[in-house]
Amino acid sequence: MDHRNPDRLRRNLLIAGAALAASPRLALAQHKYPSRPVDFLVPWGAGGGADQLARRLGGLLEKELGTSFPILNIPGATGNTGMAKLLSSPADGQSICVFIADTLGTLAGGKGRYKLADLAPLGIMIRQPSGFFVKADAKWKTFDDLLADAKKREIKVGITGFGGPDEMHVVKFNEKGAKFRPVPFAKPGERYASVLGGHAEVVIEQAGDVRSFLDSKQMRPIVFFADQPQVGYESIALAKNYGVSLAISQFRAIVMKAGTDPKQLAVMAAAIDKAAQTAEYKKYLHDELAFADSYIPAAKAGAFMAEQLALIDANMPKKS
Amino acid sequence: MEVLANLATGFGHLFTPVNFLVLWVGLVLGMLVAVLPGLTLVMGVVLALPFTYKMGVSPALILLTAMYVSGTYGGAITAILFRIPGEPMDVPLLWDGYEMTRRGEAALALGWSLVAALFGGLVSAVVMVLLSKPVAGLALAFSTPEFFAIVFFGLASVVTLSGSSLVNSLISLCLGLLIATVGVDSIYGAERFTFGEPFLQDGIEFLLVMVGAYGIGEVLTRMSTGFAGEAGEAGGGAARFRTAFPTLAQMLGMKATFARGTATGIVVGVVPGAGATVSAFVAYGLESQYGKNRDKLGKGSAEGIVAAKSAATASVGGALVPLLAMGIPGSGATAIILAAFLLHGIQPGPQVFVSSPDLVYTVFATVFLGVVGMCILGFFAIRPLCKVLEAPEAIVSAFVVVFCFVGAFAARNNLSDLYVISAFGVLGYLFERFDFPIAPLVLGTILGPLAETNFMTTMVSFDNDWTIFFRRPLSGGILFLAFAGLAWPLVRATLKRVRAAREAHARAA
Repeated sequence: MDHRNPDRLRRNLLIAGAALAASPRLALAQHKYPSRPVDFLVPWGAGGGADQLARRLGGLLEKELGTSFPILNIPGATGNTGMAKLLSSPADGQSICVFIADTLGTLAGGKGRYKLADLAPLGIMIRQPSGFFVKADAKWKTFDDLLADAKKREIKVGITGFGGPDEMHVVKFNEKGAKFRPVPFAKPGERYASVLGGHAEVVIEQAGDVRSFLDSKQMRPIVFFADQPQVGYESIALAKNYGVSLAISQFRAIVMKAGTDPKQLAVMAAAIDKAAQTAEYKKYLHDELAFADSYIPAAKAGAFMAEQLALIDANMPKKS
Repeated sequence: MEVLANLATGFGHLFTPVNFLVLWVGLVLGMLVAVLPGLTLVMGVVLALPFTYKMGVSPALILLTAMYVSGTYGGAITAILFRIPGEPMDVPLLWDGYEMTRRGEAALALGWSLVAALFGGLVSAVVMVLLSKPVAGLALAFSTPEFFAIVFFGLASVVTLSGSSLVNSLISLCLGLLIATVGVDSIYGAERFTFGEPFLQDGIEFLLVMVGAYGIGEVLTRMSTGFAGEAGEAGGGAARFRTAFPTLAQMLGMKATFARGTATGIVVGVVPGAGATVSAFVAYGLESQYGKNRDKLGKGSAEGIVAAKSAATASVGGALVPLLAMGIPGSGATAIILAAFLLHGIQPGPQVFVSSPDLVYTVFATVFLGVVGMCILGFFAIRPLCKVLEAPEAIVSAFVVVFCFVGAFAARNNLSDLYVISAFGVLGYLFERFDFPIAPLVLGTILGPLAETNFMTTMVSFDNDWTIFFRRPLSGGILFLAFAGLAWPLVRATLKRVRAAREAHARAA
C-alpha cells in the first residue's frame, strides 16, 4: 500500500475539520464525499460469501475514505429484498450494495422488477468458476470416466436450485447425451452432505466454498466451467474441452443506485480500485481460490454483467 | 485418556478472565434473545457475529456457542409463565407448561424445564465429546426422504392430541400449511398467493405467525375479558411456590421420558437442517404416543415439558457434532458459528481436530459450562419473573406487545412484518374465541416449508416415485410410526365405542 496515503488522508481530514469550523455547512457537503458513514448493504445473511466480501472491503474502504461502512444484512428472495432496499433509497451516494451472479440470474428474460440499467456498477470484486465435485473416493479418476458413466446411467448432481447457472451447466452436458439429473439443495450444508453421504454423486460448487472438504481430502474437483484453469487445480479438466463452452462464473460485484452523482460514483470507484490493489485483498482472492485477475474496474464492470446476463438469457433451461 | 486431557485444556482456555467473562455475556445475551418473542436465537447469534470479528477466535466461538446454549432455554420461561413462546422450539411448552401455570404450578413447571434442560444438555455434551466421529456419520445417512419422514412425524403426532376436536385441529393445521406456501416456492420458483405484492414474495415467516397468533392473540383475548382472567390466580399460585424442584423420585419416575427426549434431540440435532425446533416437536410427539402418561399430555403434565425441553437442549450438542467433525452445520445457529470459524480463517472439519484441537475442545467445554451456567441463570431468573405474574395484567400485556413488536422488527428491519403480526394476532384471537386450536396452525407454518422442500426434492431426485418414502428402511420406519400414531386415536375410540355398546347390550340383556 502507498505509504503516503494515510498521511494525505490525515491532512485531508484536518483540512476538512478546519473547513467545518470556518465555512457554512452547505459548502462542506459539496466539497467532501463521503462526509458521513455509507451503508454497505448485503442482500445475504451474515457469514456467507457476500457478507465476507463486504466486511473485508468495508474495512479497506474505511481506511481509504476515512468514514465507516456499517454493514446491513438484508437477506431474502435471492438477494432481491436487499436490492429493493437499495433501489428505494435516494441516489445520494449513502448506500452501496453487494450484487452477485445469482441475483443477476433473477433478471434473466427481463423478469425482474428492475433492470441492470438501474444499477451503477463500481467493480466486479471476485470471480470463481463453478465445477463438478465428487467424493474423494469416487470411482471416476477423470472427467472422461464420469462422462462415459453418465452416458450409460443416470447420475444425480446436487445444485443450488432450478433456473440458475448450476442447472444450465448440467443441461449443456445432457444435450450431448449425458444423463445427469440435477437435484436442488438450497442450503450449503445439505448440498455438501448430499455428496458426502452419497445421496448425490456429484455436486456443483465453487472451489473456495468447499475448501475445507478439499483440504481434508473428502471431496475433489473433476471438471471446471471456466476459460482459464482453476487456481490450485491446474490439472483438472475444463468443460470447454468437452464441447461445453458455457462458463457462467460466480461473481460478486459492488453497485450503487443509477442516477447517483457521477462525482460521487467516481470517488467510490477510485477507492474500490485502490482497495482491490492491496496485498490484503489479493490474499483474500487467493484464499478463496478465485481468479487472480478477478477484479474488473467500474468502467468495464457494466459490460461484464450485461454479457453474463446475455449468457444466462441464452441458456435459460426450459421449464420442466 | 486423550479426550479428557484435551477437554481439560478446553476448560483451561475457558477459565481465563476474558473468556470466562465472554461466556457469561454470551449466556445472558442468549437468554435475552430467547425471551424476546420474535427475535429468535438464530437471529441473536447473527446479530452478535459482527462483534466477534475484532475478537480472538476463542472468545468469538465461546460467545456464540454460549448464546446458542442458553438461547435454547430462555424462551421456556415466557412460554410457561405468559403463554408466549420466545422461540419456535418453546411452542410444545405452551401445551403443558402454561396449563401448569394456570393451575398455580408455575414454579414447578419451570423447575421441570430447568432439570430437563440440564439433563438433555449435559448428556448430549458427553455424547458430543465421546462419540463425535461415529455420530457424525448419522448426519450423512439422512437424505431428503428421511428428513421428510421426521417432519411428517412431527406434524402427525401433534395433531392427534391438540384441542378438543380433531376436525378443528386438522382445519387449523391445513390453514397453517397453506400460509406456509405463500411466496416463491423453493424448488421451481413459482409465485403462490403473492397477489403481486413484493412483501408477500418472501413468504410469511412462521415467526410472525407464531408471535402474532400466540403473543398478540393472547393479549387480545385477555383484553376482551377486561383483563380479569385467571392469571391473577396463577400469580397467587406462583407466589406460593417460589421455586419448586421436582423430587429425585419424581425424576426417576420419568427416566424414560428424559431418555427419549434427549436421544431425539441428539439425533435430530445431528441431521443437517433440523435443530432445536424440530427435535422439540418430535420429542413431544413421541411422548404423546409412547409416554406412560400420554393421556394426560396437553393437560398440564410435566412429561410434556421434560420431553420437549430435554430434546431442545440436547439438540445443541447434536448440531455441533457434524459442524466440528465434518464442517457441515446441523442447524441455523451452527451455520453462523461456522461463519465465525471461517471469518477467523479456520475451516471446521476432520482436520481441525488435528490442527487446532484446543479450539474444538474449547467449544466442547463451553457447551458443558454453558449448560450449567444457563441453569444457574435460569434459576435466579425464575423468582423475579414469577413476580411479574403478580403485576396487573393490563400492564404485563402492554409490555408483551412492545416486546413482540421490537423483537419482530429487529429480525429484519421490516415494518410490514409488524402488520403481519397484528393480522395474525386478530386471527389468533378469533381462533381462541371459536375454539380452534392455535398449535396446529403454528406447527403447520413452522414445519410446512421443511416438509414441502424435502418432499419435492425427493420427488425430483427419485423420478416422482412416491413409494421411495416407504422403501427406504429409515424413512419407511419413521412414517410407519407416524401413521400408527395418526390411526391409533381412531382405533382406540372405535374400540371403546364397540366395548361400550357391547356392555350396554349385555346390561340390556
